[in-house]
Amino acid sequence: MADDSQRNFRSVYYEKVGFRGVEEKKSLEILLKDDRLDIEKLCTFSQRFPLPSMYRILVWKVLLGIIPPHHESHALVMKYRKEQYWDVHHALRVIRFINDSTPQVDVFLRIHQLESGKLPRNVAFPLEPEDEVFLAIAKAMEEMVEDPIECYWLVSCFVNQLNSKHKDSLQQLPKVLEQYLNIEDNRLLMHLKACSAMSKLPYDLWFKKCFAGCLPESSLQRVWDKVISGSCKILVFVAVEILLTFKMKIIALNSAEKITQFLENIPQDNTDAIVSKAVDLWRTHCGTPAHSA
Amino acid sequence: MAQQGNVGELLSMLDSPILGVLEDITAAFKDNLICDRGPMLVNNLVDYYLETNSQQALHILSTLQEPHDKHLLDKINDYMGKAATRLPTLSLLGHVIRRQPSWKHKLSQAPLLLSLLKCLKTDTDVVVLTTGVLVLITMLPMIPQSGKQYLHDFFGIFGRLSAWCLQNPGHVAEIYLVHLHASVYSLFHRLYGMYPCNFVSFLRSHYSMKENLETFEEVVKPMMEHVRIHPELVTGSKDHELDPRRWKRLETHDVVIECAKISLDPAEASYEDGYYSVSRKLCTSSKHHQTDPSASSYIDIQSSYGTSTPYSTPRLTLSQMPGQLPQILSPQSSRLSTEPQQVTIWSPSAVCGMTTPPTSPGIVPSESSQSASQPYSKAFGTSAGGKGTPLGTPATSPPPPCTSDDFVHVSLPSAAATPPKKEDKPDSGRPLLHRQQNVINSDKSLDIPSSKSSVTLSDLPEFLGGLSFEDSAEKDREEDAISKEISEITTDAEHMVPRGGFDSPFYRTNESLSGSQKKTHSAASSVQGHSQTSEPLTSLDKPGPEGARETPKQTFTPIDKPCGGPGESPAGNREGTSGEPSILTPSPCKVPAHRRVVFGSGQPPLYEHLFEVALPKTAYLFVGKKTEELLKKAKGAQDEDCMSSTSPVEVLDRLIQQGADAHTKELNKLSLPSKSADWTHFGGSPPSDEIHTLRNQLLLLHNQLLYERFKRQQHALRNRRLLRKVIKATALEEHNAAMKDQLKLQEKEIQALKLSLQKEQARYHQFQEEHDNIVAQLHSQIRQLQHDREEFYNQSQELQTKLEDCRNMIADLRLELKKANNKVCHTELLLSQVSQKLSNSESVQQQMEFLNRQLLVLGEVNELYLEQLQHKHTDTTKEVEMLHAAFRKELEKAKLCVQQQSQRLDASQKRIAELESQLAKKDHLFLEQKKYLEDVKIQARGQLQAVESRYKAQKKITQAFELEILDLFGRLEKSSLLKKLEDDKTEAAEAAEESRLDCGNEDTAGHSEETLGRNGETKPPSTRGSSSSKGGSSSELSTPEKPQNQRLSSRWETSMLLEPSTTVPLTVGSLPSSKSFLGMKARELFRNKSESQCDEEGVSINRLSDALKTELCKDPSMESKASPSPENLSPKLQESSVGQLHIMDYNETHHDHS
Repeated sequence: MADDSQRNFRSVYYEKVGFRGVEEKKSLEILLKDDRLDIEKLCTFSQRFPLPSMYRILVWKVLLGIIPPHHESHALVMKYRKEQYWDVHHALRVIRFINDSTPQVDVFLRIHQLESGKLPRNVAFPLEPEDEVFLAIAKAMEEMVEDPIECYWLVSCFVNQLNSKHKDSLQQLPKVLEQYLNIEDNRLLMHLKACSAMSKLPYDLWFKKCFAGCLPESSLQRVWDKVISGSCKILVFVAVEILLTFKMKIIALNSAEKITQFLENIPQDNTDAIVSKAVDLWRTHCGTPAHSA
Repeated sequence: MAQQGNVGELLSMLDSPILGVLEDITAAFKDNLICDRGPMLVNNLVDYYLETNSQQALHILSTLQEPHDKHLLDKINDYMGKAATRLPTLSLLGHVIRRQPSWKHKLSQAPLLLSLLKCLKTDTDVVVLTTGVLVLITMLPMIPQSGKQYLHDFFGIFGRLSAWCLQNPGHVAEIYLVHLHASVYSLFHRLYGMYPCNFVSFLRSHYSMKENLETFEEVVKPMMEHVRIHPELVTGSKDHELDPRRWKRLETHDVVIECAKISLDPAEASYEDGYYSVSRKLCTSSKHHQTDPSASSYIDIQSSYGTSTPYSTPRLTLSQMPGQLPQILSPQSSRLSTEPQQVTIWSPSAVCGMTTPPTSPGIVPSESSQSASQPYSKAFGTSAGGKGTPLGTPATSPPPPCTSDDFVHVSLPSAAATPPKKEDKPDSGRPLLHRQQNVINSDKSLDIPSSKSSVTLSDLPEFLGGLSFEDSAEKDREEDAISKEISEITTDAEHMVPRGGFDSPFYRTNESLSGSQKKTHSAASSVQGHSQTSEPLTSLDKPGPEGARETPKQTFTPIDKPCGGPGESPAGNREGTSGEPSILTPSPCKVPAHRRVVFGSGQPPLYEHLFEVALPKTAYLFVGKKTEELLKKAKGAQDEDCMSSTSPVEVLDRLIQQGADAHTKELNKLSLPSKSADWTHFGGSPPSDEIHTLRNQLLLLHNQLLYERFKRQQHALRNRRLLRKVIKATALEEHNAAMKDQLKLQEKEIQALKLSLQKEQARYHQFQEEHDNIVAQLHSQIRQLQHDREEFYNQSQELQTKLEDCRNMIADLRLELKKANNKVCHTELLLSQVSQKLSNSESVQQQMEFLNRQLLVLGEVNELYLEQLQHKHTDTTKEVEMLHAAFRKELEKAKLCVQQQSQRLDASQKRIAELESQLAKKDHLFLEQKKYLEDVKIQARGQLQAVESRYKAQKKITQAFELEILDLFGRLEKSSLLKKLEDDKTEAAEAAEESRLDCGNEDTAGHSEETLGRNGETKPPSTRGSSSSKGGSSSELSTPEKPQNQRLSSRWETSMLLEPSTTVPLTVGSLPSSKSFLGMKARELFRNKSESQCDEEGVSINRLSDALKTELCKDPSMESKASPSPENLSPKLQESSVGQLHIMDYNETHHDHS
């Protein structure tokens, strides 16, 4: 009730007229005011509404479990995180995996490797594919987050979440993509199938890297909002929307390789619209998305 | 061709004189016509007719049926184009049309009509024109609707012919012109009657032109004087009169009558042949009178009377009959007696015209009913022919008087003229109507008591009004006998006079005009007139002085110009006759006329009667109108000479009349034998020319006659229709009368019923009163009885109440008795008790006495004791007082104690309450605390997770470090082993170097002292766990180390090791330390240690020593040993070995701790 009384009575009309985000910021603030943050509510919120950028990092951190729901322990926990980071950082330096000139992303990778116990024997060891994914995500995240420690933790937890929570569903995504593409645009699907491009679509880029490196960060954030809050199906719809948006060009291309090449380097100018459409599409197809999905 | 020949034969046989053959032939023709639809037969017939003028062929042609009409019309049309055959063709056409064939409506479409019109417009032969016009006039009413398209042609023809009449461009004989003029006059009437508006507009436009003005003045204007204003001129319009709806309900005869109605000309409005005769008769009579006043056989006169009944003649006959005419005398007596009958006879005779009188009178009386059969009259007419009266009278001896009477009566009304005419006759007859009816009535009463008498009787008063009494008088008279003949005559005459006056001024004017009526009047009123009436001139003079006749005259004069007066007319007649002496042959004219009369007008008079009977009022009006016409006509007759407004028909009539008169006169003059030389004898005119003229004239006359016959037929048709209506009307009236009678009867019945009802009601009232009385009596009785009953009832009530009282009293008494008994019982009981008590008390008294004695004794004893007691009383009081005081104090103490106890109780109770509330608070607090704790736990868990992750990170770091170290060690040992091998080689050689190697070994160990130490320590337990197992080197790494380790361990902690000497190499298999006692113990210890460490950790984890660190590390390693990631073998080996080392190490530290 208190929430309701504080909320603007015009909120209903804002939504009707199409202004989004006017009320969301306020309600998010209300949510964040709770001493013990309700993670479920935050999940639902981030699935339903776009997150304001000023709270995004905080919400992400909470959702990914980097900081606990209690405000009191935030500082302490962050201190621990920081120390841990520096400890590992120091250790890596000691064992000479990194040095001052090592790029930040590599540092993150090494720290992550070390923490997950997968540090190679030697620096010169070739990178595993999962390391590539990590690097891509880390690169994107580096753009979004300034603090390296926060960045590291976000990347690390994000990747961990992808590997643990969504591992099974990520493997199903190509099939789902085909299914929804069939519903949305049968012809395009036929074309892709005719070109036998369906199997060669950049699934790694889309689903494993979560479009990191494919979309600009501003758009990527909104996609990751949904992924972090628990729904990896949004990735499918972003992919579908990309295909639909560049349908004419794709149809114009006849070989699978060209299509793949084009899709891996799609133009970056219209991605916001793509993401918005994808979110709408996702809503229409999955109804009111449950965060657990 | 065979057929053609056959047809030719048939045609030739057509006119055979043998009747049987004739019939057969006709039948054969008709059969042929039915079978054959081709035009051949018809064409042949037409040809044949035109050649031979055969009547039979004409008959067949005129009865042609539908499919042949076209051929016939085509054929006629063909012949019409040729001038030579035009005339016979026209006459044929006239014959055909007059039969009114069923296909007459097709005429308007046939080209024949066009060619006829063309012929009429262009032809110059007067005979053809006249015939054609007559045909056209006949045809017009048959095609009133479809003929309108030729309307202007009709008008044009009229204009041309009227002009022709005047200008006579063909310069034909005047006689023809007269005929033509008559035809044009008929056409005028027809056109004006059918299309008044159009015709008038045509006249207006046509005669507004100057060149036509003369024609108008001379020809058309006189014609117009003979027509009334047509009502259509007022109400209708040009379009309206062409409206098919107007013509749809009119039949041909209706149209003809319509046209006749608007005519003022009696000749045109009525039948012309009637006029003929009249005029002729007029002429003849006048001629007779004037030329041969004294002489001239009565037969002639009589005949003329019989046929035509000219104006004055009746009176003459009346007057003359008794004296002059022997033939008539005999009938006269009878006539006198049966005067009314004769009146009835009059009508048919009048209708028949002059020709038939003898027969019809005979018939009428004999039949006496209106349904006088035509066949009779026809038969008579045909057989008799000619001037019947003289002939008829002898033939039918009883009727002749009637006829004579008839004439008389006819002459009376029709005095002015035209009795023979059908329409005139009714007019003139109007005044006589009552008479007629009277006659009829009397007839019926006398001869045949008919059902209709009542009707006529009832109707009569309406007509006659005041004359009713006369009727009765007449009846009486008639019933009487012949004895009162003379008186009857006088009465009759008297009747007549009032009748004449009663009817209308015209009537009298007629009389005055003709002069004959005056005579009748005079004759009626005074017998003087008998002789005088013989001469019309005298009679004419007489009316002047007679007052009665003056008034009529006056009335008459304003209506019509008296003109020259009666005197002139005879002169004119005479002139006419003299002018045309011997042209006419009366017989042909008369015969057809007579025949026609017989055919066409046999019945009409009868209808007229009925008509008047049925429609008195209209009849009356009609009478007026007709009389007016009559009058006019009479006047016309008189003004014949003036000719100013004489209708052409009359002119024609007169022409014929004169011709006939001249003819008869000449014939009389001529000796019979010299008839053959007649022509030469007569005048110098060449016979051929004359004959031709005469033939043509004859033809024209025939045509005219046929036309008139046609008109008559139309009238007959109409009359038949009217008769039907009249019969219906009378039937209805009878029905009404019957209904009225019934109504009256029923009313009477109702009256009777009402009377009886009243009686019944009275009786009923009486009965009711009686009944009421009885009822009242009974009621009073009942009331009395009821009263008695009530009294008795009351008495019984009283008695019953008394009975009740008695019963109650008895019950009371019984109760009292019971009570008394009870009391008695009770008292008895009491008594026994009291007696008992008494005995008891006695015993008690005894005891009391005993006790009293005892008391006394005891009192004495007591006194004794009291004395004793008072002696001892002083000592006891002190003790008691002391005791009292002590007890009081004790009581107070107890009370205080109680008080204290209660206070304490209160306090404790309060305390309990407080404590309980506190407990609740505590519980609440506990809950809060629990919540808080929960919260804190979660918080701590969050932190702990962070810490744990950090710890894991640390562990990883350590592992990484260890890995690194081990790696380094591996490298180092490799290098050192190489060195040692070299050393071993050199050892044997160099002993001195041994010590240095030890030192060096120590140095290397010192490099990482603790680990080395641990290394050394690990070995003993491992060897211990698998002491029995294997020796030898399992790994390259361990084996070389062993001697060193052994050495080292022995050197370091010999005391601790149970079996320091065992040198079993370190293997994975030696790990199952869990089974060994030491492993178990170590694990327990570690667990305790770890817990305690956890607690300590909260304080300062950072500051744990390296050793502790290793200890901590040991536990996860131990656990992780169960599922080690299958990585490279070497790290695992390292790990396991390290773990074992740690256990030992931990044991050691634990020992240290403890």
